[in-house]
Amino acid sequence: MNVDLIRKDFPILESSVVYLDSAATSQRPKVVVDAVSNYYLTMNANVHRGVYQWSSAATDAFEGTRALVAEFLGAASTEEVIFTKGTTESINLVAQTFGEMHVQAGDVIAVTRMEHHANFIPWQQLALRKNARFEIIELTDDLRLDPKEIERVLSLKPKIVALTLMSNVTGVRNDIAAISKAFHAVGSHVVLDAAQGLIHEEIKISDLGEIDFLALSAHKLLGPTGVGVLWGRKRLLESMPPYQFGGQMIQEVGDYESSWNGLPHKFEAGTPDIAGVIGFGAALSYLKKVGRNAIAKYEAQITEVVLQEIAKISGVTLIGPKSLEDRGPVFSFSVASIHAHDLATYFDLNQIAVRAGHHCAQPLMKKVGATSTCRASFSFYNTLEEARLFLAVLSQANAFFARKGKEPHRRRSHVVS
Amino acid sequence: MSYRDVFGEVLADHHESPRYYGALPLASKVEHGFNPLCGDKIDIYIQVEDGVLVRCQFEGEGCSICMASASILAERIQGMDRLAVLTLIDAFREKMAGATVVKGLPSEDSQEDDLVALYGVKRFPVRIKCALLAWTTLKKAISEGDTP
Repeated sequence: MNVDLIRKDFPILESSVVYLDSAATSQRPKVVVDAVSNYYLTMNANVHRGVYQWSSAATDAFEGTRALVAEFLGAASTEEVIFTKGTTESINLVAQTFGEMHVQAGDVIAVTRMEHHANFIPWQQLALRKNARFEIIELTDDLRLDPKEIERVLSLKPKIVALTLMSNVTGVRNDIAAISKAFHAVGSHVVLDAAQGLIHEEIKISDLGEIDFLALSAHKLLGPTGVGVLWGRKRLLESMPPYQFGGQMIQEVGDYESSWNGLPHKFEAGTPDIAGVIGFGAALSYLKKVGRNAIAKYEAQITEVVLQEIAKISGVTLIGPKSLEDRGPVFSFSVASIHAHDLATYFDLNQIAVRAGHHCAQPLMKKVGATSTCRASFSFYNTLEEARLFLAVLSQANAFFARKGKEPHRRRSHVVS
Repeated sequence: MSYRDVFGEVLADHHESPRYYGALPLASKVEHGFNPLCGDKIDIYIQVEDGVLVRCQFEGEGCSICMASASILAERIQGMDRLAVLTLIDAFREKMAGATVVKGLPSEDSQEDDLVALYGVKRFPVRIKCALLAWTTLKKAISEGDTP
């Protein structure tokens, strides 16, 4: 993989900004932006409706993306690929249809402490609605899933287990194949939040053991914002009631009752983000061309350098695993002498874009014992020079603020009476 | 580049040595402020007697802008009339929302006034909420219980 050539495909990277927030949203190559504008400029029409050429071209392009997603995931059929607004909507869809019909009072619903709010709150609220038991699989000290906790929750035979492929805070990658098989064996259904992770390595559904649902967002995979996918096993999707009602999702509408369209349209009420879906198709084609095996190899080099060097800066604490195994290029850290937001502003003034905050993972932050941390997340279009620059600025910030020798929250009261 | 280059001497000083910091045992009210986006937390202690804010102190955890702003606010309002404090808070919020000249506030070139240092936070639009937390929390503390 030649990163210099790759960067030429991303016009925004010509800027002097070092973008280290790809876990929030990836950048898009020009081919994606072109595909979006090409739709508006040459075939703008609604899909699945018109009999004229434009509508037919738009429908072909739209459905073409569905086929690309099925190939990307290794899905058994395009009927299993449902377009949504994003990971959040995909998970809410499962919670409010499958979860609603499948969970009874007293049942157990389980999540892990490393979940993004999008894969935490929908289940917490479902448990409250159903008077079900909500269980959290706790983590080890280096913030990986605790095997003892997995055993404990397995013994509770949860109806639904929702977990993430990769933590958006620590970069930890979970062994989904083993975990999903174990939970399936006790009768659980497994919902996978795959918003993070899929861009960093080649993963197919067959590599993920016995998962039942998978949610992803296009904008973390080089595609446009506002588009996501829910993948689900066909027999489960067929058994589920519609999520929303309206156009496209119906078969026949009578005065007093209606019947539903087949998969996947049953879950796609209303006009979708046609341009966004078409752009996502271009993103997946581009990603295939670059190759996720090459990406994984390249990003491992960046991860190694960052892990090695960050450990040498005293006063900087890396949140989560310090070893290279089973983790992606996402690094959350705190600096003893400086608040995360001040640090992020310091990076910004040095033209480096990092994230600061709770990263939509407050349950995990509770375990970490911080209200906010800084996060630098890398992608295959970042260079090793950018990683070194990031480390140099971090080191500078730390040295400057450490010199003052002050704890951030210990304050002298300076009361003047 | 140092912290002082970025945020200026006045904010740095208030951040390092906050004025009126700490719980106030005689407080007639404690108001809690929280910014869910970044986790900044503040507790504002007030002692109001006959419509006068006799004493106001704060405690909290947050970024430097949040804490410095609380310190600058606290220093300014000790012993002020409650209604005058409300007017000041509204004026400051208006200023931070982008107004160039606001009645009752020092002008941008008043170098003697610490409040002016906070105007600089407007350069970092996403940090304005950090500067406002103490102010909105204090407003809540002294607005509630208003009798018409």
